[in-house]
Formats: sequence, structure tokens, C-alpha cells
Amino acid sequence: MTAATPSAAAHSRPRPFEGLRMWWMMLVISLEERLAYRGDFILGTLMRFLPIVTQLFLWTAVFSATNAADIAGYSRNDIVAYYLLTMITRAFSSMPGLAGGIARSVRDGSVKKYLVQPIDYVSFLLASRIAHKLVYYAVAVFPFAGVFFLCRSFFPPVPDAATIAIFLLSLLLSFLLGFFLEATLGMLGFWFLEVSSIVFAYMLLQYLLSGHMFPLDMLAGIGTGIPGVSLGSVVHWLPFEYTAYFPAAIWLGKIHGTELIRALVIEAVWVVVMAVACRIAWRRGTRRYSAFGG
Amino acid sequence: MGRYTKIFATFARACLVRDMTFRTNFLLECITSIGWMSMNLAFYLLVFTFTAEIGRGTGWTREPFFAFVATGLIINSIVQALFMPSAEELTEMVRTGGLDGVLVQPLDAQFVLSLHRVDFSAFANGLVGVGLLVWSLARMDHAPGVIAWILYPLLILCGVAILYSLVIMLAAATILLGRNQSLYDFWFYLTNFSRYPAEIYSGPWGGPLRNLCTFVIPILLVVNVPARIIAQPLTGQGWGMVAAAFSAAGASLLVSRIVFQAALSRYRSASS
Amino acid sequence: MVFPYTSPMHNSSQNAAIHPQKSRAASREDAGREPVIAVESLAKEYRVYDKPEGLLASISGLFQRKSRIVHALRGVNLSVGRGEFVALLGPNGAGKTTFLKLLSGIITPTRGTAQVLGHVPWERADDFRRRFALVMGQRNQLWWDLPAAESFRLHKEIYRIDTARFERTRDELVDMLDVRKILLQPVRELSLGERMKLELVAALLHEPQVLFLDEPTIGLDVVAQHTLHRFLTHVQAQRQMTVVLTTHYMKDVAALCERVVVITHGDILYDGSLDEIVDRFTTHKIVTLDLDDTPSLERMERFGFPCEIRGPQVILRIDRPRIAEVLPEILRSERVRDISVEDVPLEEIVAALFRSEAAQPPTTHQEARA
Repeated sequence: MTAATPSAAAHSRPRPFEGLRMWWMMLVISLEERLAYRGDFILGTLMRFLPIVTQLFLWTAVFSATNAADIAGYSRNDIVAYYLLTMITRAFSSMPGLAGGIARSVRDGSVKKYLVQPIDYVSFLLASRIAHKLVYYAVAVFPFAGVFFLCRSFFPPVPDAATIAIFLLSLLLSFLLGFFLEATLGMLGFWFLEVSSIVFAYMLLQYLLSGHMFPLDMLAGIGTGIPGVSLGSVVHWLPFEYTAYFPAAIWLGKIHGTELIRALVIEAVWVVVMAVACRIAWRRGTRRYSAFGG
Repeated sequence: MGRYTKIFATFARACLVRDMTFRTNFLLECITSIGWMSMNLAFYLLVFTFTAEIGRGTGWTREPFFAFVATGLIINSIVQALFMPSAEELTEMVRTGGLDGVLVQPLDAQFVLSLHRVDFSAFANGLVGVGLLVWSLARMDHAPGVIAWILYPLLILCGVAILYSLVIMLAAATILLGRNQSLYDFWFYLTNFSRYPAEIYSGPWGGPLRNLCTFVIPILLVVNVPARIIAQPLTGQGWGMVAAAFSAAGASLLVSRIVFQAALSRYRSASS
Repeated sequence: MVFPYTSPMHNSSQNAAIHPQKSRAASREDAGREPVIAVESLAKEYRVYDKPEGLLASISGLFQRKSRIVHALRGVNLSVGRGEFVALLGPNGAGKTTFLKLLSGIITPTRGTAQVLGHVPWERADDFRRRFALVMGQRNQLWWDLPAAESFRLHKEIYRIDTARFERTRDELVDMLDVRKILLQPVRELSLGERMKLELVAALLHEPQVLFLDEPTIGLDVVAQHTLHRFLTHVQAQRQMTVVLTTHYMKDVAALCERVVVITHGDILYDGSLDEIVDRFTTHKIVTLDLDDTPSLERMERFGFPCEIRGPQVILRIDRPRIAEVLPEILRSERVRDISVEDVPLEEIVAALFRSEAAQPPTTHQEARA
């Protein structure tokens, strides 16, 4: 990242652990902030589970009308467990305000700060996001644990250690994927004044294709117009399902063996692709920005 | 009353002028809301590939259900267009003291605070809702009778009134607490219960929930009653629901008015 | 309408260090006329919660929160007659804005009574609200994205002004402030000064009998301030309007107000004319000398307190009683090229007045379980 960093960096060489100390400060400050509004926060987190209550009743009604034991391989309990699990996945992969924040900093010129200061913008964003997420989990773990305990009867038996390990790995990757996806979208702000419509289009696709609304296995029977290719099979190649569906499906044992390995590889490849895209967008964007004088 | 109509017209015209100044933004907002709605419709279509009916024997097969969804769209778009923008701005007005300016004017504060902003782009969903209603009614076996057609718009107004009362209660909370960051979230999650036919809330947990959302916070009456009247044959139970909707609308308007006035008298005003 | 208090009460609290005297302005309305604003023992208290600082404190804040009572106003008495122009002065947080908000009915008091134009303000009767206006310098009442003309039209409806009268008043005000050419421009594109002028026009359209101005000149340049002063003086005299103004600029006070009410820590500390303040609180004069040579400190200390000696230029502070004897003395013993004698700037007098009641207000500390 030396290309865009002006000579200021050479003068004030960052001391060792400087970055780490700053990161620790961010962690502490955001934790204090969370604790100050803990009531709002816990209530807000609990409220997020309310739509699942509606979904529970909706699918119960659907099952009562069909007499089927399962839909696309999911029993009613599976579906409820699935929705609850996607809440965890979304807690890792969703990046509220990231793309919009980057675009705004480009628009109002505050991004200049990162061109002058000896900080790498992408690393800074990633570090602050990790800090925020850690703090979020530290407080959110209580309402989550409460809800999952109350809903334990919907879940199949706890999977074996290997599956849990892969589940955790997929969660970690989903965090990185979500981060680099949104960061890249935000960087488009260097080229387009208003990225909100792009972000919106992304959110729509994300909403439908990530598995946030329903288990993606239900798309297996939906055609795409191309003979022999179902919507379900196309979705596996796109990045969206790795931000919601995939980890949940691993926990519920819906994906096994080579299929699981293949999906993990696809997810990892997407993370790398988006990380590189984000870098390129930042480099090109800042070059363009300084060329046009902001 | 004429004065209030005139003042509202002035508010509305001012907002329209503003929307037309930022036309691209306006169009984007229309597209956004229609986009979200289409995603939900796609989800419902997907659900109906697995079942013919939502709940055994409820009568909510595909077309009646889409008439239900259409009714919900119409009611929500009215509330989103007329009341929500003002309510959302209230937090900001309390914080910056803009509310002070409203309180010194010789106008009913509740009127100004709930109607001074109109979001015309929110009507886009309502128009789609009307289209969807026509489409589903045309494909249904059951044709609504004259009485249903007379009651339907009135019940839609009842639904709007109930939601409006909720908005006012949230606004009162905003005034008392000085801030309410999750006002909109809370609204979303609460109205979420009204998005499906009441029949799905059954069983040991569903029954009490249904009663709670019918008699305490009458959110289930908002869409259910007009949708049932227009999409399903009118029965004795239907008449009971109509009566419930009218009384719930009246009661919630009254209660919200009292709560709002109480909140105003405890208003602290931002220090400057 | 019968008022419970027939004579104006300017004296406020028992512990006030300075005993206010009746001002000329106040005695003018003593002539049997009812006060437009009558306030008795008006008090407003707030409970505030301390936000804990630091991580551990935030955690312990989960269980208990400290709260305390802030006395924004502690039983204030005031009477203002028709056509008076009163300045409310005081340091930040003294209770001026709280007072104005109580008088406009935005907030309700903890104790005490007030009547403005015969109404209790916080009952917010339409008849009352149609007869007064509040202008806040830091807040925008006009529609941000629309031309001011649109906001004026809305005002016409809100205040039920009939068309002929509305147009006459509007044109008159608009011409006085020379703002006709910006009437059709969206307000967001205007400068602060232009916006303030339009705010004032909007506030005066319904010809209020009482006008409350909360820091109307804040952030304005000198020219705009001056324009506002002239305008307000003119309109106030023409309409016999009662005006209460809060400000931090002594220029506003000097230009506009005959009567000054000083509030500190929620109490009225002084109520009287501006001249009286200067008279009673000016203990010394400022003498500026331009000499032939650079004097020594000792040489100057004979006359008074040397504030500044910069080369041959000297600024001296001399006690007022001594001025008559010191001045001839200076002229006799020094080679003076130029001399000027001035009062201490108004700002300094008022600042001293604010400080004179330096004791911190007692606050009630309480711990409450959250």
C-alpha cells in the first residue's frame, strides 16, 4: 500500500504494537458504548428473533396443510432450527453501514485522512470491524443463548466435533467474505457518486439468494430457463449463500463429504477473490481520486 | 376542520415540491420499496410450490392469500407515506429542539407531528398492491359481494387507524425518552405479526399470541379483517371481526391520543 | 381578566446579593396597566442521570444509576408591561432559555405560576399561541428545501391570517428588511443572516403582541446584527410589542433594551435599566494615554493600575471617585500627546456581575436503582 501513501509515512515510523494498542482502544471504547446502551441493545437483539416466531407459525401452517413429513429435506423443526442458525451466520457476515460508510467518506472527502496518515485503510476497517463484532458477540451471547436454550427442542442432536470445527471455519470465512464484499461495494464510491443503488441491488440479491428467507434447498426444483440447470444449482456457485445458508446447513448435516469440501473451497475462493478485488478497487480508486483532486 | 385540511394540503404540496427537486432520489426510493416487496412476493410464490394452502381448511389458498398480501401492501403504504416519515423525524426534532417550534404554533401538536412530512414514494407499493388485489380477485372462485365492497375501504381505514395509533404511541415514547433509535425496528418487528393470516397462530403458544395480538395490541386485526371480508365468504364470524376492527380502531385512537398528550406535558425540551 | 398581583415584583430571591431597584421602564407601566407577562415563584427542576465513565463504571451502571436534581429555575418573580423590551442576560446554563421555554409553554414548571397575555402558557390555548411568537437563533423554523414564501403561506393558514392583512404585513416586513429578492429561493441556499431575517418575518406575520427572541443574533456578522437591531426597534415601537430577548451580545442589549434582567443559577440577580448597571457596577474608568516617552511602571502606578504599557502608550485603570483629581495630575506631570477616558466595556461589567454570585448552586444528590 505504499503507492498511495505519501511521504508522511516515512517520517513518523509507527512504533511496534502501535496498531495493536489502537485496536485495543477501539475495542474498549466500543464495549463501553455497548454497555451504556445495554438495555436498548439486548432488547434490539431479542426483537430480531421475532420474525422467526412468525416463520415458525407460517411453516407449521404449511406443514399442516400438506401432510408431508418434510419439504426439500427439511422437517418443520429443521426449518425453525435453520432460521435460528442463520441468525448466527448473519451475525458474522452482515456488515451494517460498511459500504455506505466508505462511500460517504469518499464523497465528503474524509477518506483523505487515510491517504495522509500512516494507516492502511482496508486493514484499519477490518480491525475496527473485528473489534465491533467481538464486542457485539460479548453482549449478544446472552440473548442468543437464551433463545437457543428455549428453542433447543427444534434442533437435531449436536453434530460431531469435526462438523462443529467445519461450521466454525465456515463462519470465520463468512465474516471475511461479508467484509470484503461490502468493502468492495463501498469502494465503488470512487467511481460512482451514489453507491446506494448498487448496495441496494446487492442487498436484494443477498436477501433472496443467501438463504436468509428460506433454506436454499427449496430452490432445487425451480428452473432457470436453461434445461437441466435449476436455480438451486446456480446459487451454489455464487457468493451469497456463504453469508447465511452454508454454515447453517453444515450444522444441520444437510451437506456432506465431497459436496461439503467443494462448497468450502468455493467459499474460500470467493474470500480471496473479493479480498483482491477490494485491494485493487482501493488502489485504483485512490489513484483516480488523487488524479482528479478529490 | 377546513383549516387543518388546508394545512395538510400545504404540507403535502411542500413535500411533493421537495420530492420533485430530488427526482432521481424519489425514483430510487420507489424502486427500492417495490424491490423489497417483490422479494417477499417471490418468497410467497415459492411457499405455494410446496403447499396449496396456508393452514389446513383456512381457505388461504394462493389467490386469496395474495389478496391478503395486497391488502397489507395498501394499508402499509398509506401508513408509510403519511405517518412514518414524520414519526421518524420526531427523534431528530426532540434532539435538536425542533419540537419546540411546533409547540408554540396554534395547532394540534399531534396533527403536526404525525402529518407534516409525506413520503410520496411509499405510495408506489400501494399501487402495486391495488394491481395485485385486482389480479387475485379476478382469479378467485369467490367474488366479493356488495357489502364486502362497501366494508373493505372502511376496514382498510380501520387498519390504518390502528397502525397510526401505534405510531403515535411510539412517538410518545420518543418524546419521553428523548431518543428512540430503534423506533423503526420496533415498528417493523411488531407489524411483522400482521403480515400473515391470523389462523396460522394456533396451538398452545399460537392461541395466546393470537389473543394478545387481537385484543391487547390489535395488530392482527389490521390486515386480517379487510382481507377476509374481500377474499373469503362473509360468515357470522366475519361480522364479529368487523365489529372488533371498528371498536379496536376507535379504542386505539383514543388511548394513543391520551398517551400522546401525557407525553407532551412531560416534554423536557433539549437544553441549548 | 384579573391578575392576582397588581404591582410588578422585580425583586427575586432572598439571597440575592444586590437589591434590584425599580427601573424607569418598569415604573412607566406602573400606571395602573396590567402586566403582559406576570410570573410568580416560577421554578423548574430536572432529574438528570450521570453517565458513568470508564468500563468498570459502565458495568456497575447496569445495576444502579446516580441521579441528581438540577434547579434550572428557582422560584422567579417577574412582571413585564406592554411595550417593554427586556433583555434576559446570564451565563450559559443560568436558566434563561428554560425561562423563555416556560413562558412560551413548551415545558411545564415544577412549581409556580405564570401568565402571558392572560393565559397560562403551558396550557397551550390556541388563542394564546396565536398572539405570541418565538424565534430561536439556532433553530430553523422555515422549511429547509422550500422558498420562504411557501413557509409564509403555511403560516397564514396556521395563524388564520386573512389574505389582505397577510399580504400587507408580509410586504411591509419584507420591504423593511429588503428580502424580497430571496423570497423565492430555497431556504437551504441562503446565508445565515438572510435566513434570520426571514425567520423574523415569519414570526411577525401574525402580528404577535409578545415576541420571545432566543439569541437572535448568534453567528451573524456586524452588518446583519445592525440591520436586525434597526428592524426590531422599529417594529417594536410601531406595534407596541412586548419583547423578551436572551443574548450574549451586549451590543444587542445596548441597541434594543431599556430593561435588563440578569439570571444566574436559576435566580434573578438584577432587574433594572441598563444605565443603572453601568452606573452601579462601574467601579473604575479606563484611561488611555499617548506620551512623549516610555514611562516606568512606578511612574504610572501613582495614578492608578497600569493595565498595559507599550512604549509611550499606556492604559490605566483608575477608580471612579479619584478620576476628577487624577486627570489634572496626569496632565500636569506628564507630557501627554493624546488622552481618552472610557467606561469599562459593558461585556466586562456584565461578566463581573455574573461572577459576583460565584457560589456554586447546591444540588441534591440522590442514588436511585435503575
